[in-house]
Amino acid sequence: MAMDDKRGYRSGLVDLRAGEVSREIFVNEHIYAEEQERIFARAWLHVGHESQIPKPGDYFVSSMGEESVILCRDRAGKIHVFLNSCRHRGMKVCRYDQGTTAVFTCPYHGWSYGTDGRLVGVPYFREAYHSRLDKEKWGLVEVAQMHNYKGSIWATWDPAAPGFTEYLGDFTRYLDLQLDGWDGREGQAEVLGGIQKWLVPCNWKFPAENFSGDTYHNISHRSVDLAGIGPSGAGRRDMGERDVSRKLHVCIPDRGHQTIHYVLPAGKSPPPAYLNAPIVAEYVRHCEEERRRLRGEEARLVGAPGEIFPNTALLSRQPRTMAVWHPRSPHQTECWRWFFVDRDAPTEVKHFLRDYYIRYSGPAGMTEQDDMENWNYAHAASRGTIARRYPYNYDQGSGTAVTNYEYQGLRVPGEVIDLTETQSSEQPMRNFYRRWAEFMEADDWSRLATWRGGERKAAE
Amino acid sequence: MSAINVRDLAPGTSIVLADGAEAEIVTNPGDGMWLFARYLSSPRDPTLVGQEEMIFAPDVVALGR
Amino acid sequence: MAERDARIDRLLLSQEITDFLYREAELLDERRYREWLDLLADDVRYWMPIRRNVKLGDDEGEFTRALSDINWFDEGKDTLSRRVKQIETGIHWAEEPRSRLSHLVTNVQVQGAEPSLAAPQDVSVTSRFLIYRNRVETETDILVGRREDQLRRNGAGWLLARRKIILDQNVLLSKNLTFFI
Repeated sequence: MAMDDKRGYRSGLVDLRAGEVSREIFVNEHIYAEEQERIFARAWLHVGHESQIPKPGDYFVSSMGEESVILCRDRAGKIHVFLNSCRHRGMKVCRYDQGTTAVFTCPYHGWSYGTDGRLVGVPYFREAYHSRLDKEKWGLVEVAQMHNYKGSIWATWDPAAPGFTEYLGDFTRYLDLQLDGWDGREGQAEVLGGIQKWLVPCNWKFPAENFSGDTYHNISHRSVDLAGIGPSGAGRRDMGERDVSRKLHVCIPDRGHQTIHYVLPAGKSPPPAYLNAPIVAEYVRHCEEERRRLRGEEARLVGAPGEIFPNTALLSRQPRTMAVWHPRSPHQTECWRWFFVDRDAPTEVKHFLRDYYIRYSGPAGMTEQDDMENWNYAHAASRGTIARRYPYNYDQGSGTAVTNYEYQGLRVPGEVIDLTETQSSEQPMRNFYRRWAEFMEADDWSRLATWRGGERKAAE
Repeated sequence: MSAINVRDLAPGTSIVLADGAEAEIVTNPGDGMWLFARYLSSPRDPTLVGQEEMIFAPDVVALGR
Repeated sequence: MAERDARIDRLLLSQEITDFLYREAELLDERRYREWLDLLADDVRYWMPIRRNVKLGDDEGEFTRALSDINWFDEGKDTLSRRVKQIETGIHWAEEPRSRLSHLVTNVQVQGAEPSLAAPQDVSVTSRFLIYRNRVETETDILVGRREDQLRRNGAGWLLARRKIILDQNVLLSKNLTFFI
């Protein structure tokens, strides 16, 4: 064990003036333990989507940080998120992945909870407890706050956390791109059946920073572009619109959310795609037209990989997915990936997109495979006593972000770097780690809600 | 007498409980531990008759007629 | 005499199919991917569903559906060929350096033959696999499960027309699936 391993977080590990981040924050076990308390117990986390639980009694077992939670719809139709652990002796009350139920009954001693979380069944309540157990007090632990944002379900354990939309700040429009229909109508997304879950031997922040908008690692995906899996059947792995748009890094300071983002020139439509599948090509063309009609100038915004702090990744365009990076140990992450389609899209379109999603993403995805190799061995090679002495470099494009960015009449909020000339920047990672350090340092939300006028000192 | 697996008992089935009461299954959550049942008779506490309660599996000693 | 002939037909077919599966496994383990692709029918379907934990009785919900749900794999020859091409680039870092693989195939059972055992054109066969994958230094994966294959007569040999792979895992314990099963 390295000497430093005995110490947890201290300021200076994230040093953005120098453009450096210490390897300790990825490999140190004490820091990992502190993250569970300071980040995962306080931040808003993605739990699932309402299309996974359409009917009363439906549930989907999810995860928040290290902990198992149940996303369920009670008999009255209300959505809840509960800790998946019996109040009596802690046994998981649900070990199925999904289903429909009237109660969650603990297999250990038989305590049973309604889908609204209330303790309803206690064996020998009269005889052994003399009817004196306060059942109201011993229901399933429920999250402090839950928010249904256009069908996506988010939750936090911290009652003092700001509401979810305030937590998002100006990042709202990027999550909208994920959840609204491609035709511009609100909240049209549905989740395809089958959530991919897999283990990667790396710290959770490797995928988090990658999806924050790592434009620099394109080179590691060269093999998939040579093999040609693009949405039109061959060629580069993603969409043609990247060639005609301004390519931006957009970071929402104060919030720790950031993304890559394309802005089409005024009056220009994206180049045609899916040319080998006329039904899909026609659907996309129709959607673009509708979107321009409904959204006007805003329809020029095209989504790309992004990250909502701390561990939710967006990819609103192609493949259209959301992922959550669940911490399992300092050295292991459980990745969960949800895939989306417009619920009103023709069946052929859904199937075509699905084929593309599978060959792109996840452990069998020809693109994502190479990412996981990098995260795995970057982590492994950073654990040693010597390796830990040398910080990573995050200096790319330091000091070049602008606010009030505008392109042909469209204003983009946040700190922006136009990558069209510079090719790449590490502004998104700086934004992510600055926020990470703030979470590690601030004792409560009064100091974390910096946009309300609180102090901002971490890492500066 | 062998134990009864309550997991798959259909609503409408009548059951005999350890204290001699008889009840009819209203809904079965299928967890193998609990049944929602309405009392048909209850020698120990006649006020329970007509009431719906959760019945714990080990209390079900026989199937009624 | 006819009954004896039928038993011999079954035995011969069973051996022929088993040989095919062993040869296929050997090609994969020797990284002769182009020859492996030649064993696939042009309309091959290669499907590996995700497995869920479901309640006894909900057998249907245990597997994600082919062609409509998200699966680990659900693809045809074109995508499979592109996977081979990707490995052959030498810059597919998840397979470079390449993995060391052993496919152990066992419990081979011919489940049916059409139109007959004596003159089979289409054969369904089930088997169990154990795949040992070791790469770089100590990275090791073991995958165990069942395959349900449809084979189609091709002259003197056979082509794989459909493969369903049932892996005995829920959360995938491997970081990737860069190899064929």
